[in-house]
Amino acid sequence: MSLFVKYFKLSAIAVLALTLGAHGTQAPQRIDVKQLSKKVEDVVVPLPNEVFGALNKLGSVNWREYVRTGKGSNFTERPRIALLLGTVIADGFIAVQAEDAPAVKEIGQRVQTLAKGIGVERSITQHAKAIVEAADKRKWDNVRQELDRTQNSVQQAMNEVNDEKLSQLVSLGGWLRGTAVLTAVVTKHFSTEGAELLHQPDLLVYFQTKLNAMPEPQFKVAIIREIQEALEQVKPMIDVGNARISPESVRKVNEITARLDYGIVTKD
Amino acid sequence: MDGLAKVLLRGGSVFGALLAFRLIAFASVDDAQSFALQAAEPYVKEGFQVREDYWGGDLGSGEKKAVRQQLFKGNEYWFWMGTEVERAKISVHIYDSEGKLAEQPDSWEKGHFAAAHVIPKATGSYFIIVEIEESPEERTHWALVYGFR
Repeated sequence: MSLFVKYFKLSAIAVLALTLGAHGTQAPQRIDVKQLSKKVEDVVVPLPNEVFGALNKLGSVNWREYVRTGKGSNFTERPRIALLLGTVIADGFIAVQAEDAPAVKEIGQRVQTLAKGIGVERSITQHAKAIVEAADKRKWDNVRQELDRTQNSVQQAMNEVNDEKLSQLVSLGGWLRGTAVLTAVVTKHFSTEGAELLHQPDLLVYFQTKLNAMPEPQFKVAIIREIQEALEQVKPMIDVGNARISPESVRKVNEITARLDYGIVTKD
Repeated sequence: MDGLAKVLLRGGSVFGALLAFRLIAFASVDDAQSFALQAAEPYVKEGFQVREDYWGGDLGSGEKKAVRQQLFKGNEYWFWMGTEVERAKISVHIYDSEGKLAEQPDSWEKGHFAAAHVIPKATGSYFIIVEIEESPEERTHWALVYGFR
């Protein structure tokens, strides 16, 4: 079937669904969530730009303030490279928010170097090239898509060689950098809606579970221990149920995540 | 019909049967994902960024699976589900952390495609319930992708 025919078929389905209400059986209005698994599994970790996009809708943010480039430290320990890789990809999303093409290109190259350090550079070469091309043309949506593809390809390549734990550290690095920037922005101009974006308790539990399942000697690095301890501190500040997250909590989470972020990018 | 045509036709049906067997034998979550992505295609033009990561697996007829996802208030999300089993009937629905149906009325299901639309009223965890309502297969691969804007 040609691409056009496929596209036409799907468009027709979507339009039909909208106009005719293509519902099958009616979904129940309520379900008993207590019957569902309490285990937080199969999590797709949100990209930093999911939270940045939501933050942007609350008011304009001077993203240039948060752009970070530079070569940074070089590590030999694979868990440290994985954490740093996640952080640098998050920096890529920040540079896109700031529409800073030179920074995006520099970050694209840095991602490639880090991927090489971890043995997965072949999986991302084409994406790194696409990032540079799209940044040159200032096609920001394409850059965002390619950053997502880069992270996905790196993680798939890791999973294929049974390095799922490294793959989880990539997600964790990105989440920490994203949270550090989110809390920095909200601390600067506090709003209840901005603080609410921190309400991510299940994601925190997911990362805690993954870190607790890393007893191997290669993961016994100081920064991972620090992150484990820090997540314990962060949990009560963001797991507030229906209550509001206070300015003080946002500030504290910012202090903690900024410290961890510094630890990830800097040599001991 | 002459003899040659009959042989070709019979050969063709054997080939067709073999092909069908291969398709069933080698169908995978990746195939299901490509259908989920097909369902997402029209929405990309509307500004939705479709994530590369996805959920997938296989379920029997009438079986459901719940996955949790962090959603942010201020964003708008679509979740698209697909399976390669064309005669299957599938569905996807979204509930908030209290178990209340949270999706928009324009969510839809059509055979082996289904989609749910949510504009979160609060930031937090949501339950996405996927179901194989009917299928001629014992186990049916499914995949779920999502996009946001």
